[in-house]
Amino acid sequence: MTRVLLPTLLLLLCGVSLMVGASQMSWSALWSASDDAWLTLTASRLPRLAALVLTGVGLSICGVILQQIVRNRFVEPATCGGLDAAKLGILVALTVLPGAGATGRMLFALVFCLLASLVYVAIIRRIRFTNLVLVPVIGLMYGSLLSAIAEFYAYRHNILQSMQGWLLGDFSRVIEGNYEIIYLILPIVVLTYLYAQRFTVLGMGEGMATSLGLNYAATAILGLVLVAVTVSATVITVGAIPFVGLVVPNLVALRYGENLKRTLPIVAMCGAALLLACDILGRLLIHPYEVPIGLTAGSVGGVLFLLLILWKCK
Amino acid sequence: MMRRAAWLLLPALALAFLLLGSGLDFSYVIPKRLVRLGAIIVAGVCIAVSSVIFQTLAGNRVLTPAIMGYEGIYLLFQALLVLWLGTASVTLLGAQGNALLSIALMLGYSWLLQRWLLREGRGDVYRLLLLGLVLTMVLGTFTQFIQLKTSPGEFSILQSLGYTSFNRAQPTQVLYSGLLVAAVAVLVARGTRVLDVLALGRDQAIALGLDHGRCLRLQMALVAVLVAVSTSLVGPTAFMGVFVANIAYALARSARHQVTLPLACAVAIGMFLLAQLLVEHLFNYRTSVSILVNLVCGAYFLALMVRTRGTP
Repeated sequence: MTRVLLPTLLLLLCGVSLMVGASQMSWSALWSASDDAWLTLTASRLPRLAALVLTGVGLSICGVILQQIVRNRFVEPATCGGLDAAKLGILVALTVLPGAGATGRMLFALVFCLLASLVYVAIIRRIRFTNLVLVPVIGLMYGSLLSAIAEFYAYRHNILQSMQGWLLGDFSRVIEGNYEIIYLILPIVVLTYLYAQRFTVLGMGEGMATSLGLNYAATAILGLVLVAVTVSATVITVGAIPFVGLVVPNLVALRYGENLKRTLPIVAMCGAALLLACDILGRLLIHPYEVPIGLTAGSVGGVLFLLLILWKCK
Repeated sequence: MMRRAAWLLLPALALAFLLLGSGLDFSYVIPKRLVRLGAIIVAGVCIAVSSVIFQTLAGNRVLTPAIMGYEGIYLLFQALLVLWLGTASVTLLGAQGNALLSIALMLGYSWLLQRWLLREGRGDVYRLLLLGLVLTMVLGTFTQFIQLKTSPGEFSILQSLGYTSFNRAQPTQVLYSGLLVAAVAVLVARGTRVLDVLALGRDQAIALGLDHGRCLRLQMALVAVLVAVSTSLVGPTAFMGVFVANIAYALARSARHQVTLPLACAVAIGMFLLAQLLVEHLFNYRTSVSILVNLVCGAYFLALMVRTRGTP
């Protein structure tokens, strides 16, 4: 069932995503090889589709890796400070090295995100308190502290207002030539899939993983690096999109269990489908304008998260 | 000793706030500052009292109204008002009409929260906390979404509502809010003993002869009014309440509300005054009260959570 249904759904969403937009584009115009239609397709629609799918896949896989490392279902980049740290990194890059291009800014975001996740994991390990809910609570507090620092910093440099604008997840800026960094997610996905079994073992805890012959620290750090690369690449190209990495793995695990080798492709497809659906919704709600995906995905993901909390912690 | 120092510090801070760099200009600078001082005092009392009472009712020292989504609801409501009525909402309803509507809304939310969450959730603090934090984020997203649909002029009005600031309070608004808060304060002051009993938990309170349901409803209503007043006067304050209440408990070394409530008020007012002084004189307006409060209180809250290691 799933093997057929899910890919079909995904392809369908991809098709719809290509057709919807501010400028009307019909397939017949493409057949008649109208330059205008082709330009719309290759310069805007296809890059946007690629960015959407890659972001969806990347973010949901990030969620899976983090959940295995921290051993908590409710952890993802937005609930462990990673997203806020990446924003802070971009901000610092903008003021320290104003000339740095997207790559330079991404390096800053990556370093900040990695450091923040390491600190977060250290805090969680020190607490040694296995409570499903406490861990994300501390992560959210940590994230809001990081973003308070970012605000403090941005206010001093008079970029608070623009920061709020460009850090909200938004795919309307994605056009040919300024989104290619997002392809970094591809190798990350492949690596994650190759290491899927190790991450499953990682999720069994340090003692168990070590006795099964896994280098615990190295694998955990590898996971955090993969997450940091994905998060910084998405924040640089499209901005912050919260809750996707949390909701998708949880919903998939509810139905298909936790064997990563088997569920990882499903998680990836569901992540892409969720983002595509949210993006299409955002493009239709106030057509011909757009609602940024940070808002649509944030609302949908947030509401699903609330339901998960209510249901899971009974 | 510490307590006396805290009480002495407060008038000193207030005087410094009024006079520092004013050039003793009694015609313009000092009256303006008096209005701001009024807003600070009223809002400080609101935040302190509402947080302490809420924590007593919820039976823990982590949850506050701001965290449980009261402020998010208020901001969403203001955004909806502007969307439906446009900037005319200000003239159509008047400041008082808006305030009354907001209070009604807060009362409704309080009632929901009490029926649905506090009844079953007394033991499970962290679940409520996570729910509150996520709910606040989701409400913030909805608010942003509505802001998208407003015109730039309306947007700037809404944007300013989202930050703590003492500069937008009008003298009449401060006066009305002050009167309302004074009335609430009298009610609270007369009921501190009831609060002491409520803090023991539902069963003990009933065993001691308290009409638990009625008292709970009354106190929740008071909390709602206080939150509505403080949010409309100075904007949302996020984690300030947790900070204020916990510092007050530490200073008081007593669980009696007769001691903790006034201390919490003093801490809140002192904190606001200090932040405003820092912004005006040390940072020279290169930062804002909202950011300072978020930074300090956020760090404190995180430390509190990590230090207690999950045992409330």
